[in-house]
Amino acid sequence: MRHTLTLYRRLLGVQIRSQLQYRVAFFMDLLATGLTVCLEFASLALVLQRFQHIRGWTMGEVAFLYGMVEIAFGIMDLVFSGFDPGRFGQEVRRGTFDQILLRPVNITVQVLTLDFALRRLAKITVGIGIFIVGLQGTMITWTPAKLLYLPFVLGSMVCFFGGLFVVGATITFWTVESIEVMNILTYGGSFTISYPMSIYPDWLRRFFTYIVPAIFLNYYPALYILDKPDPFNFPPIAPFLAPLVGLITLALSLAFWRFGITHYQSTGT
Amino acid sequence: MRLFWEITRRSFRRFMTYRAAALAGLVTNVFFGLLRVSVLLALYDGRPEVAGYTVPGIITYTALTQAVIAYLSLFGWFDLMQSVYTGEIAADLLKPMRLFTFWLAQDTGRAAVNILLRGVTIMIIYGLLFDLTYPQTAVQTLAVILTIILSWLLSFTWRFLINLPAFWTPNARGIVRLGYVLAWFFSGFLMPLRFLPDWVQRVAYLTPFPHMLNSVVDVYVGVLSGTELLRVLLIQAAWVLALALMGQLVLKTAVRRLVILGG
Repeated sequence: MRHTLTLYRRLLGVQIRSQLQYRVAFFMDLLATGLTVCLEFASLALVLQRFQHIRGWTMGEVAFLYGMVEIAFGIMDLVFSGFDPGRFGQEVRRGTFDQILLRPVNITVQVLTLDFALRRLAKITVGIGIFIVGLQGTMITWTPAKLLYLPFVLGSMVCFFGGLFVVGATITFWTVESIEVMNILTYGGSFTISYPMSIYPDWLRRFFTYIVPAIFLNYYPALYILDKPDPFNFPPIAPFLAPLVGLITLALSLAFWRFGITHYQSTGT
Repeated sequence: MRLFWEITRRSFRRFMTYRAAALAGLVTNVFFGLLRVSVLLALYDGRPEVAGYTVPGIITYTALTQAVIAYLSLFGWFDLMQSVYTGEIAADLLKPMRLFTFWLAQDTGRAAVNILLRGVTIMIIYGLLFDLTYPQTAVQTLAVILTIILSWLLSFTWRFLINLPAFWTPNARGIVRLGYVLAWFFSGFLMPLRFLPDWVQRVAYLTPFPHMLNSVVDVYVGVLSGTELLRVLLIQAAWVLALALMGQLVLKTAVRRLVILGG
């Protein structure tokens, strides 16, 4: 275990150093990533100025929801870059995944360190900025319980989306190409929970409640922290289901990943 | 000219072979469109019209933005940059054709496949799901066709131009991405420009980006009419020419710097 951790740190170090080689290129990449998140949120914030609120949620409250997702998805995207299905599919297609299997080192650690997209730091930073805008625009009455719960909410989202990346990567063992449906769950899912869930039609909300329970990751914790009433009358425990959803998703996806590895048949390239 | 169409035809057939991928991408476009419709309708909150866009108008806006993503290559096109890094550009420069024309011919095929497979299909799907607005008169229909073609030419000249830094730096991906991010915001892809504060709109209209998308929507849903239509089409064409010329100028200095590593 300790050996694996040391190795993880070393391999990450290699990744980071190699990305910092071309300073200008790296800086431009950071700038582009940061500006993307910034302008996406700015377009929403500017439009909210005109409309005042979205289904009773003010600009500050939406910034709170939005910032949480950006931070969590950014961290996930950084840590799980190696599992990014589009990227991982290439390893399967080119047969480079076979090399990974041959090395006497933990496979998951090797895949995790295939990539460590440092440019996501810009996404996380801008996400924190949006979150701060949210804090300033809302009057949250903080309690120790809320403060303590906040990191768990973020962690749950990291686990949840990380799990989806792992599932998407595993599927490429059979399909070779990353499948588009996974994009709907990862990028579509993170878009969905960046807004109050009450804006969506019933079928969509039910999908993200009962089939993919993403509603509990951000929306319900936010209702609890912002002291907003629940329009869907769920039991009072609903805001605290996030860690459960995150951990179960990650555990199931890792089990699927191990199943995939034992059934992996190379493409032969 | 024959060479141009020959390249276009081949590119068309090449992209046609990725039918399954195009259809899969279409599913994502439709889904994201549904999310964005939800956001916009929640903002409207029962208002029949905002800044010239009626409810069917704003749904048409969303449908159009999703329909042209692949056609305009809005999420990025790095092919020219890649050809510099792989060295393929050496062979391309030897072809009996300008580099710009060569890529334009290929992009014509690519765009044609995407407007047919993804663009038209997405509009039909949204037409079945929602009440949309459609061009009313023959003049407007003609203007729609022209503006859609010009928007693609504008996107191409922009993509060509921002790929050129590849001649100067060993990794231009960040710079190219910056070029696309600016286009998303100022073209009205993220939110209709008419919903943004006046000063943002004024800044946007100093750039070519509104004419990649926002103008197409305005012409399509009928916010613009009469001489305004003609004016928009002329401005679009002027930007296409300007960006194409700029691309040629930059390319001229770029080619002089080009070093191909043998492999």
